Amino acid sequence: MEELAKEIRRLKEELDRKKEEIHDLKKLVNKEIDREFPSNVEEFSEKELETYIREILSSLHIHIESKPDIRTITSHRKTLGKPIVFLKRAFLETTFNCIDSFLDKQTRFNRQIAVLCQAILLRVQHNIERMKKVEEKVSHYEENMAILKNQLDELRSSQEQLKSCPTDHPPK
Amino acid sequence: MTTNAHKDFLLSLKNLKLRSRAAFPKLSKAVKEISISQGIQAAYNDLLRAEVIFGLRKPSLAVYDQAFHFIGGAQKYGLTLISALQDQFDITIIANKDVRPRDFFDWYNLDLSRCKIKIIKLPYFEERKAFHLDPAFISNEVKNPFHLISQESGSYDIFVNNSMNEMVYPLSNISVLICHFPERRPKSYFYADHYTYVIYNSRYTAEWIEKKWKFSPHQLIYPPVDMEAGESEFPKKKNILSVARFEPEGTKRQEEMIETFMKLNQEWPEIVTGWKFILAGGSNPGNRYLSKLEEIIAKNRDQNIELKINIPITELKSLYRESTIFWHLCGLRHDDPAEIEHFGMTTVEAMQNKMVPIVFDGGGLREIVDHGLNGFRVQSKAELLECSIKLLRDEKLIQKLSQSAQEKAQTYSRRKFEARVKAFFDEILKRITSFE
Repeated sequence: MEELAKEIRRLKEELDRKKEEIHDLKKLVNKEIDREFPSNVEEFSEKELETYIREILSSLHIHIESKPDIRTITSHRKTLGKPIVFLKRAFLETTFNCIDSFLDKQTRFNRQIAVLCQAILLRVQHNIERMKKVEEKVSHYEENMAILKNQLDELRSSQEQLKSCPTDHPPK
Repeated sequence: MTTNAHKDFLLSLKNLKLRSRAAFPKLSKAVKEISISQGIQAAYNDLLRAEVIFGLRKPSLAVYDQAFHFIGGAQKYGLTLISALQDQFDITIIANKDVRPRDFFDWYNLDLSRCKIKIIKLPYFEERKAFHLDPAFISNEVKNPFHLISQESGSYDIFVNNSMNEMVYPLSNISVLICHFPERRPKSYFYADHYTYVIYNSRYTAEWIEKKWKFSPHQLIYPPVDMEAGESEFPKKKNILSVARFEPEGTKRQEEMIETFMKLNQEWPEIVTGWKFILAGGSNPGNRYLSKLEEIIAKNRDQNIELKINIPITELKSLYRESTIFWHLCGLRHDDPAEIEHFGMTTVEAMQNKMVPIVFDGGGLREIVDHGLNGFRVQSKAELLECSIKLLRDEKLIQKLSQSAQEKAQTYSRRKFEARVKAFFDEILKRITSFE
């Protein structure tokens, strides 16, 4: 058994060394471990919806501009890089000028959609506030009713007790 | 190829069991084949398993919680589980911040001195000086900081993840996720469904695991609650008690309970004569919600309402022993399932001390309190008033319900928890020590 223990330990040490060199979990288990998950908004709670809407709205604002930013075009090449970047930027600039009117229309539309979403969200928030106030009022009435109902019960039982008690006054 | 490699490995093991030295090269070959087909970790796991099958060492078990460095109900759950398994396993506690066995003794009265503690600091959170390591901040735009824990998990026979963190990918032979509640929906780095077993703390949690994560968890083990008063009877005072953390967002609904007690005082003072409402709970300094409550109470000094903040456990125990009615409204006016009590430890603590609970009708509290049998469940402040008045007017009802409450609370005792944990891990042990 000792020899077996030694053999297993030797194999483990060998694998341990290999494991230490691997920092990517995928390589360690030989398969893909990450997946994409769809957002099922219809299952979301109010709180989750609020966070989700806020995230979507902020990304809407980022993507209003239809024209890509040509400043993002860069190159890692030392000598050839500069002329390539210049040519690419110049090409895109001219192309954009030709389709500018279409892009402007799209940008306007995007902006309006973003504003519209913001407005609808505000309206929903106002309505939620209003509903909360109404709920509070209803809650007050319900509480008063609960107390009154119990007080009435108590009065009734006292009345019953009084009825069952013999009175000192002789009947007329 | 995959199954063949495993079969060869198991066959080699069986041969080795017969002390056939000739099987050594076959074993080595099988390990190499498994490494190639299923990755190095799978081969490593098979070797770990071989050691356990042949009794070369005690099975190893690691329990991880990113919040072991501060006091919490979920952490008490994990550490009580460790304490129940100390004899069977060689246990390592994995934490992300410095913590000592002495702390566990002071916080939970648990002696875990036989366990090793391994601190793995996560650079992502260290750089941000974060005390709470919240996985909610991790999106797929950043590298998963919890992969360091995933890597560590591959060094043990059994890895138990006790944190509310489904971003740890388990690499061990057997892995267990203790789900206290599925707070997030599957997003980036979601690995909860990769665990061999998922333990859940209430049927309410199981329901939401199915809804949010789309799979059924395996084993229900209710949290351990050990607030029993003991054999002797204690005289009860006319106290209504609430025990809950003073959350800055007010999710425990202390303000609503104060309003309800004040309403009783104003509208029907005779019925609450001599009764006191005590709110006990923990709080961090600078808590605005708590300041608001203090202000309300200061303005209404004649209302017999008292706050007990961060009191020692001995004082809390005597409060439980002396009080008669327990109020708990956490969950009221919430639609987010995470903000409703997942289980309800304090309610069980109160019931163990013969208090009659009146609690919110939702979440895990539905499993604990049977309406009309051992307490009441309410869905509004009006119903809280209604049920409280019923109790205040009927002393016999209080006695009857408190007796049943104490009986029901025994379901959640620490003894029962330990028995369930041992039975569950015994099954796992059988699994890892067999050739099947």
